[in-house]
Amino acid sequence: MNSNSEKLRQTYNELLEFKMVLQKAGDFLVSSGNHAVAQETELSENVYSNDSYADSASLLEEEMQPGPSNQSGVRFISGIICKSKVLRFERTLFRATRGNMLFNQAPADDQIIDPASNEMVEKTVFVVFFSGEQARTKILKICESFGANCYPVPEDLTKRSQIIREVLSRSSDLEATLEAGLRHRDTALNTIGFYLSKWTNMVRREKAVYDVLNMLNFDVTKKCLVGEGWCPIFAKTRIQESLQRATFDCSSQVGIIFHVMDAVESPPTYFRTNHFTNAYQEIVDAYGVAKYQEANPAVYTIITFPFLFAVMFGDWGHGICLLLGALVLIVREKKLSSQKLDSFMEMLFGGRYLLLLMSLFSIYCGLIYNEFFSVPFHIFGHSAYKCRDATCSDAYSVGLVKYRDAYPFGVDPSWRGSRSELPFLNSLKMKMSILFGVVQMNLGIILSYFNARYFGNSLDIKYQFVPQMIFLNSLFGYLSLLIIIKWCTGSQADLYHVMIYMFLSPFEDLRDNKLFWGQSVLQVILLLSAVIAVPWMLFPKPFILKRLHTERFQGRTYGILGTSDMYNEEEPDSARHPHLDEFNFSEVFVHQMIHAIEFVLGAVSNTASYLRLWALSLAHSELSTVFYEKVLLLAWGYDNIVIRLIGLAVFAFATAFILLMMESLSAFLHALRLHWVEFQNKFYNGDGYKFKPFSFALLTDDDD
Amino acid sequence: MGFLVTTLIFIVVGIIASLCARICCNRGPSANLLHLTLIITATVCCWMMWAIVYLAQMKPLIVPILNETE
Repeated sequence: MNSNSEKLRQTYNELLEFKMVLQKAGDFLVSSGNHAVAQETELSENVYSNDSYADSASLLEEEMQPGPSNQSGVRFISGIICKSKVLRFERTLFRATRGNMLFNQAPADDQIIDPASNEMVEKTVFVVFFSGEQARTKILKICESFGANCYPVPEDLTKRSQIIREVLSRSSDLEATLEAGLRHRDTALNTIGFYLSKWTNMVRREKAVYDVLNMLNFDVTKKCLVGEGWCPIFAKTRIQESLQRATFDCSSQVGIIFHVMDAVESPPTYFRTNHFTNAYQEIVDAYGVAKYQEANPAVYTIITFPFLFAVMFGDWGHGICLLLGALVLIVREKKLSSQKLDSFMEMLFGGRYLLLLMSLFSIYCGLIYNEFFSVPFHIFGHSAYKCRDATCSDAYSVGLVKYRDAYPFGVDPSWRGSRSELPFLNSLKMKMSILFGVVQMNLGIILSYFNARYFGNSLDIKYQFVPQMIFLNSLFGYLSLLIIIKWCTGSQADLYHVMIYMFLSPFEDLRDNKLFWGQSVLQVILLLSAVIAVPWMLFPKPFILKRLHTERFQGRTYGILGTSDMYNEEEPDSARHPHLDEFNFSEVFVHQMIHAIEFVLGAVSNTASYLRLWALSLAHSELSTVFYEKVLLLAWGYDNIVIRLIGLAVFAFATAFILLMMESLSAFLHALRLHWVEFQNKFYNGDGYKFKPFSFALLTDDDD
Repeated sequence: MGFLVTTLIFIVVGIIASLCARICCNRGPSANLLHLTLIITATVCCWMMWAIVYLAQMKPLIVPILNETE
């Protein structure tokens, strides 16, 4: 049907072009006859062409003989060409015929569909007058190369009008045919359109089934297919039932055999998630899928990730905005999950529960930092500070005085706007970051203990977990303890000094930096434990591994002749080492050394890395203050309503784009980094692979 | 309210939340353990945040010095 309509359309186009050529060329040629004859032609002709070429026409009259038959004299070729090519065409013709030609052109009235590019182009009708046979061939070739279509126009007026009438009737016939053809095609497409989605679906399913069948193998008799796969243990009975049902449904003679076998390779990891936990599992999997049966960090990430985000984002006004966004997404969950969303909205929608928890924790941290779009409130009672006397004269020089217990929940509202706000908040937030960092890293190391205990790896417990705990806590756990003691006692000790001189001169007297009794002795003990912990995590493990390996393979030095049966009784991992030199001691030692150095250096760098909690929280608070004070308050100071509205609009835009979007992304990213690197490198292997069961429901997602 | 009192309040809130979770969504042992873990983690995080800010303000070394423009 399509090819037929193509041909018809082409013919129709040609007819149209012929008609135009006839019409316009007739104008050029009509001047060769007398003017009386010209009146006979259709009055709808463009008269201007007669006038503008009147000069050239009169020249023509002189040259040409009054009769139409001048075969040996001036002849002409008429045709139609794209308007854009006319100029070059004319120049090429001029050069080719060395100027011995006359070129007349007139633009065509209608646009024609160019069959090659399928769009409407403007065309120009041209007539070339020339003499001589060689010129004719040259001109024809040039016409062909420029894609100009040449049509023969008879010189005789009556013949011309006859041909014009013929062409018109033929083109109207063709128009009718084409329209009928189009209508027919439309109805056919409509009927197909009903079934199209169903057919596509069916084809996709068949294709997926064949994909899976390709993975199976023929058995020896070539009569049945054999396949190996993974399935979760809890689903075993269900699978057997469905296989029986399938055998029954397709009424085959032979039943499907389902046989559990021992695997040599590690199984895939399968975590069953629901809508809520899916987003968190995905962000953990983005770093690496958990090894089979290893501890899943996503369990803690569900809470600690939004919490660390909130520490960096803390402002309950912004938190409420995020909460509204999250609630909108969650309420329209059903509707949005069936729609096809663009990639940005899809990411937002996928993380809607992430956003919900992030916003809830942001509100909490905002209440603690006491920032509502950077404005503090006295929600939880009076401030703990007041002026020293009634005149408040020295509030600007010496400051307020603390006259009651600390503000019960969060940062005291008197700090905002004071000159000593930044020193206080910086000190608070830096120490807070260190405390959170030490706690999260300890959690990571404890998870590595549980991993080692689950896999029965007592070597890891004794020579990795214990020294790691000792090292981290004797240095940074001690720092955390000092921070808390300094806060509780209000001592003026300089903690930097204490920590640095603990290493440089541990036996020196502490004098002003003494925080508690027995501090020097404790510091020496902790320093010694940290120093002992380093070779403890470095040396014993490779030597013990070597000893275990030689014990295991002691009797096997006399070569194992290639029977694989002997190794089926042993554990799977040792079956892979039939030769003694498989245990490369230097490799194991270097690996352990790298691990130990990474931990020791990482202890310092990871703790410092947690200071980003302070940095981003400071940046957020400062940005928020700037927008509030320098935009909103400034604009509100004027009495003019227009300036106030403009100020409000600028504040709203700045808050929405810079604070809500950019800062959210930034805090999201940094919280994610803290989880992926500082938390997970204490315990996570992450070298598993995901369990990907065959599913018809996921087919549509894959294809899209 | 003192430090200890508020800490007790946090503990009580945590216990109540875990009881509510056990009553409302009792969905099998592993799901229950997950909910309990989440609630304990959230309580500990929130308490730590509050405790740090409270302790830092108990005996401060500097006081607010107001700005000239205010």
